[in-house]
Amino acid sequence: MIWIEKQRNIIDLALSSLLRKSGKNLALVIIYTAIVFILASVVFFISSLKREAALVLEASPEIVVQKLVAGRQALAPESYIDAMRGLRGTANVRGRLWGHYFDSTVGANYTIMACDDDAQLAAGTITIGRGMARTLSLKKGDSMKFDAYDGTSVDFKVGEILPYRSELVASDLILLRSDGFRRIFGMEEGSYSDVTLQVANRKEMATVAGKIKKLLPDSRPILRDEVLRTYEAIFDWRGGLLIVILCGAVLAFIIFAWDKASGLSFEERREICILKAVGWDTSEVMAMKLWEGAVISLLSFIFGIIGAYLHVFYTSYFLFGPVLKGWSVLYPSYQLIPAVDPYQLAALFFLTVVPYTAATLIPLWGAASIDPDEGMRL
Amino acid sequence: MIELRNVTKVFNKGRSNEFTAIEDVSLSIGARRLTVLKGPSGSGKTTALSIIGAMAKPTSGRVEVFGREITSLPERFLSRIRREHFGFIFQNFNLIKGISALENVMIPAYPCGENHGVLRNRAMGLLELFNVSGKADSMVNWLSGGEMQRVAIARALINNPQVIVADEPTAHLDTKLSREFMGIMAQLVRDGRTVMIASHDPLICDSEDIGMVVSFRDGRIEGVQENR
Repeated sequence: MIWIEKQRNIIDLALSSLLRKSGKNLALVIIYTAIVFILASVVFFISSLKREAALVLEASPEIVVQKLVAGRQALAPESYIDAMRGLRGTANVRGRLWGHYFDSTVGANYTIMACDDDAQLAAGTITIGRGMARTLSLKKGDSMKFDAYDGTSVDFKVGEILPYRSELVASDLILLRSDGFRRIFGMEEGSYSDVTLQVANRKEMATVAGKIKKLLPDSRPILRDEVLRTYEAIFDWRGGLLIVILCGAVLAFIIFAWDKASGLSFEERREICILKAVGWDTSEVMAMKLWEGAVISLLSFIFGIIGAYLHVFYTSYFLFGPVLKGWSVLYPSYQLIPAVDPYQLAALFFLTVVPYTAATLIPLWGAASIDPDEGMRL
Repeated sequence: MIELRNVTKVFNKGRSNEFTAIEDVSLSIGARRLTVLKGPSGSGKTTALSIIGAMAKPTSGRVEVFGREITSLPERFLSRIRREHFGFIFQNFNLIKGISALENVMIPAYPCGENHGVLRNRAMGLLELFNVSGKADSMVNWLSGGEMQRVAIARALINNPQVIVADEPTAHLDTKLSREFMGIMAQLVRDGRTVMIASHDPLICDSEDIGMVVSFRDGRIEGVQENR
């Protein structure tokens, strides 16, 4: 109880002391907050992207097989599916119909895909992603017109809007029946965009992929893990790039914070002299300085984290979006689902709060060497 | 109550700027009286006061406070002795600028871990006693010399110490404020406290409230005069 009261009293003086130098400390909090904000924005954004990508790929097929002609992807024939069904260890081998549709009215590309099972959708209806619904102001029951390959128009009714689970890939997605898909793009029966399959034993994925390549030499099997690794590499690389660019700013902050935290101004020295002269112990002076540092760094950390959270999840990371997304990789716009990893928060805390608070201890070595009787000679 | 036996204090010992502030000083100071350490600048009176107030350790010799030998005590014990037994009034009052008068008064008691509300009430009581309660929430930089003096005295009394130590308290005060200060000190002695003042101000040294005058010169005691 006495200890708590003592700390309360010391914190009280620490706060008064901070308010006394409010201009200087406010500048420090602003710069400190900006640094936490930048670091947290990058971390939140990159981890959210990776998390969403993993979430999406979790439900995706383990192997996707494309047919290649002259090194480019071509339509896969029915015979591909039959050949792979004959391989041991494979399951759910099915042809996929998907492609891109450019909407010249809004200048956006949509991903258009036929359902696995046509029975899931009524004829003449489509299911669309939230991003599309938002951009085109579409709701359930509205109709949407597509320009078909032959110059004619095809009308569809919006039957459903995809749930909010992951906007990353579902944002621009249109799901429809295979007959509707073939009608828009003029694809003949028996040809597919690619072929997907499951592997009974996950450890056998690479072996199965090798067998497919042997069986169908003009094919390219793509493993899910490879896609995931590629995504991670791209996002990590972009995050790293931004951090490197911001290194200068971080370094400037470190120098500023170090100078602020470790320097002992005349006023601070005078204050420590007085405190020691009136009966404060060195450890009590140290506690006060530690509280001062803790208040500044905790405030900056909280403001920075809240700012980064709002920036990434509610303002579409408008500050660093172009660098972090890359226009050609993720398009059109989408919103990330708010999620924060406590481990990342802890890492950010240790990278920002702990070094500053520790730096505030430096002047206390100086304080420890001040004789209380200096207070008599001020 | 306070005994100094053959106390010597050397600053920067072993260096080219070595300086002996006091040499072979022996002194006995009684309780509940006003003692003045008198002498010109550099005579050693402030150093003697620092040693008596447990702010500095002597280079040699022994110091006893309330029957306890304090020369060999580590810093944290000395801090506690300073806090519990002594109240300090400095030459320029040494109030902490930028915080209120009330907070300045409370500062010496903060490490004691006393309830904040209780402490605040006691500090307010002291400010009222010295007629500066109206300035409790004012920053000390805005106070007049007389108000700062009274806040400094209130701060010295916050832990209810037995001994008040004042170093050149009237150096920057006019005659009226100096007399007022001495009046307060005399009252503290009448209330049962021991007061020690280092000064070369005749207004203090010639005051009729003084019980003992110790004259310093060149770091040594030149003479001791008992008044009553």
